[in-house]
Amino acid sequence: MALDKEILKEFVEVVGKDNIDDGEIMTNAYAYNWCMEIFNYMEGKEPIPFSPIPKAVVLPSSTEEVAQIVKLCNKYGIKFKAQSTGLGPWNQPSTDNSIIIDLRRMNKIVKIDAKNLYAVVEPYVSGAQLQLEIMKHGLNCHMPGAGPQVSPLASATSMNGPGFTSPSTGHSARNVLGVEWVLPDGEIMRLGSLGLKNNRNWYNGDGPGPSLRGIMRGWAGAKSGIGVFTRVAVKLFPYPCSTEFKLDGCSPDYDFDIPDFMRVYVMDCGTFKYLEKAMLRIEEEEISFMCSFMSGFAVMAIFATSIEDLMDKMAIGSMKVPLVVIITARTQREFEYKQKVMGMILDEMKLNDIIGTLYTPNPIFYAEALRSNLGLHGFIATGGFQSTKGVCDTAAVCLRSTKKNIPMKKKYIKKEVIANDFGEGHWMTSYESGHYFHVESPTMFDQTDQSSVEGMAEYMEASNQMDLLKHLGAPFFVEGNKLHKLFGPHMSNYHIWLRKIKQAFDPNEIADSGFYISAQEESKEKS
Amino acid sequence: MYNFHPYSGGGKIILALLLEMGRINPSDELRDVVYKCTECGACAVSCKFLNTLEPLEIIMKLREKLVDAGYGPMPKQQQYIDSVKKNNNPYNEPHEKRLDWLPEDIELDPNAKVLYYVGCTSSYRREEMAIATAHIMNAAQIHFNILGKDEFCCGSPILRTGDTKTFKEFLNKNLDVIESKGIETVVFSCAGCYDTFKVDYPLYRNYNFRVLHIVEFFDDILETGHLKLTNEVPLTVTYHDPCHLGRNAESYEEWDGDVVDLMPLVSINMPPKPKRTGAKGIYDVPRNILKKIPGLKFVEMERIKEYAYCCGAGAGVKSAFPEFALTTAKNRIQEAEDTGAGALTSACPFCSTNLQDAIKESGSKLKFYDINELLLMALGLETKALKKKMVEAA
Ligand SMILES: Cc1cc2nc3c(=O)[nH]c(=O)nc-3n(C[C@H](O)[C@H](O)[C@H](O)COP(=O)(O)OP(=O)(O)OC[C@H]3O[C@@H](n4cnc5c(N)ncnc54)[C@H](O)[C@@H]3O)c2cc1C
Repeated sequence: MALDKEILKEFVEVVGKDNIDDGEIMTNAYAYNWCMEIFNYMEGKEPIPFSPIPKAVVLPSSTEEVAQIVKLCNKYGIKFKAQSTGLGPWNQPSTDNSIIIDLRRMNKIVKIDAKNLYAVVEPYVSGAQLQLEIMKHGLNCHMPGAGPQVSPLASATSMNGPGFTSPSTGHSARNVLGVEWVLPDGEIMRLGSLGLKNNRNWYNGDGPGPSLRGIMRGWAGAKSGIGVFTRVAVKLFPYPCSTEFKLDGCSPDYDFDIPDFMRVYVMDCGTFKYLEKAMLRIEEEEISFMCSFMSGFAVMAIFATSIEDLMDKMAIGSMKVPLVVIITARTQREFEYKQKVMGMILDEMKLNDIIGTLYTPNPIFYAEALRSNLGLHGFIATGGFQSTKGVCDTAAVCLRSTKKNIPMKKKYIKKEVIANDFGEGHWMTSYESGHYFHVESPTMFDQTDQSSVEGMAEYMEASNQMDLLKHLGAPFFVEGNKLHKLFGPHMSNYHIWLRKIKQAFDPNEIADSGFYISAQEESKEKS
Repeated sequence: MYNFHPYSGGGKIILALLLEMGRINPSDELRDVVYKCTECGACAVSCKFLNTLEPLEIIMKLREKLVDAGYGPMPKQQQYIDSVKKNNNPYNEPHEKRLDWLPEDIELDPNAKVLYYVGCTSSYRREEMAIATAHIMNAAQIHFNILGKDEFCCGSPILRTGDTKTFKEFLNKNLDVIESKGIETVVFSCAGCYDTFKVDYPLYRNYNFRVLHIVEFFDDILETGHLKLTNEVPLTVTYHDPCHLGRNAESYEEWDGDVVDLMPLVSINMPPKPKRTGAKGIYDVPRNILKKIPGLKFVEMERIKEYAYCCGAGAGVKSAFPEFALTTAKNRIQEAEDTGAGALTSACPFCSTNLQDAIKESGSKLKFYDINELLLMALGLETKALKKKMVEAA
């Protein structure tokens, strides 16, 4: 249902007529999202890739415009859903009484403070854009495994945060500094040192007074359920290796020289127990840029650029428990030191590195690792994927979760509803040199095949149940009332506290909480 | 106004899905979104870095569907198509005037095996390109001919706005004429005609002659020493890659393989199916030419080759949405200015017109030269008009 004409007029006054659309074409197009069918099915709806149709789509260009839009939503009791780059079902409204605030006009890198190692970005700055600019200062940023095309702001403030470079660049939740936040009532809040009365600046995410970072996003992010983030400062890191590259040729067949001081190792650890030992040992030495466990199939995929291209990588595919480590350095001396340490660990643990012997990657692999694009290689087999698991804990807990998951996954593989990764498709990374770990089980399915969608949904639900029964930690996608209610009582009743936050910030439920938690328990929003 | 997601390649794939699923119907609103696109193919390059999505093909199909449903093309574009049907050119110019650009001193050879297909835009609007091309051909002592009154619109503006039926008529007309003359090589100074002949014609009908853009032809001649560039051209020049000569000028390769189910839900192409990624566009050849011109300093823009920004004119946008075309071109001009170059060059009459409009509109000091004009200068064969432009530039 389109907006009432008078209400539309008020929105037009805020953003101008070219930046709001409530027509049939735009609103229907914005109702689509990748993998929406699976979430529809899980809620007992028809498994189609469409959410409820938004009443309108608005494109603000500034924090002030966002605040005015949110105030209008409050005035007329209309919900809003914010999007940064907008890929994924979590961007969709849960009711047809919602507008979408598409933040793509807010696309500026506001500031790069190379000395104090942070950058301030708006929502529609992609990781790739930020990385390119800060590289000129010899710096790098953390990017989620989703890839360089997503928004560092969305990752930092609103959703998840693990990435392939997490051993050296951490987790998005831990990289947020100052934040500018339009609350669900339209008031503008500034967090951390940005909230200071005098000399406000972006350099710190905490204080004065108690930190609100946990309230803002917690572990998984509020996914637009607690307001709109309009600018954020994220931590920067020294660029891991030389920033001088030789790159020739055209997409997709670039001719790339491995930059000075970068090296990849792939070893088969044989068992999970030994993998745990190896990861902890390597991370203890604080030498890795990337340190990930993946299935043999997934390791083949990160080295491949198409499904046909997987075929010559069988030597990797047959590995039982592969560990991929990349080390990088900024000087020859540092590089030699790290290689020496790595060599000692491999000797000590009797692990064989297959790179250069059994397999030599195309140098473009190194570029993909540097720009955090490896995750997208993992999905060349089919178009649909979701992750089960997602626990963030010790390496031991993560691997227990992995072990338990394999037979369950195999059951669904046998039913031919999910792609066959022999049940082994998992991704586990260390954070901050082994400070903690996370594992998830990316699983591919066919979005266009109803039985595959249904089978995948059933597998996700069964996996959640298993996480609860076997104490395997909270999965990634605990979102919406139904799942919070399921997991909360087993986890210190966190759902009660989460609801209190929602009630305090948004008692009238203006921020669409379909992927968060509703203020009132009886709300029909999602569950 | 062009910021909503459906204006992007990905958004248009969503529109196609909505239409296929019957969630939306053809309408003026849909037409407006579908036609606000230059079909530059940048989305297709990005999509095919790892994936196999074909957004550009989907956009073209969407237009075809809208034409079939009676909604496309845009009224201004329809006027062009009507003119092509009536005059064999989209500019409402009389067919008899197609040869008006031809200087008297140009030598043609009726028995030549090389044909210069001039195209409508170079014949009626960007005559300087045709004139420069013909002079250089003569300077290189190439025996060549033109079709004259037997030349018809290549059909590009019709195809790209979705009227496939009319396009096929013109494709057949042109191929019939060229094949009847025993031509071995057809050269084009228009990137649009070249792309249409090279990439699109074979999808409907095969032919037995070679097609080359004039930059390929001249670069060969320069390599073999049949043309000597003796005059200094003291300009700092940057080059704009036309989409029709760059990422879109990649032929479809025939594939006669099978889709083999590797395992449930996962299939592969055996043998691998060639992907049109944009990598095989004509990128180095024009750059080689520029680097061979004495005294000319060549500088690159930030976005080049398969990632070059579009000039903004293509696929009927210049006629139907002139403001959109100009805004896009101004972006490109700004990028060209950022290189510090004093001159901008390209190899397509549409790019030439639109970029020159943007230079004027934005008050830029850049001078635009077609790449053949630069060659003409290096040969010391400047026309009067070109001399005047050089004096102004100095
Ligand atoms: C193939 C694939 C792989 C992925 N892998 C990972 C991974 O490895 N690690 C990881 O962390 N995540 C992953 N994700 C999930 C997600 O894409 C990322 O978390 C990503 O960082 C989100 O950024 P975005 O720009 O896509 O945000 P969006 O998709 O635009 O938004 C994400 C969520 O945040 C909300 N939101 C966005 N912007 C704002 C804002 N300004 N204010 C308030 N709310 C906002 C949206 O409503 C939505 O709920 C993956 C997703 C896909 C599709």
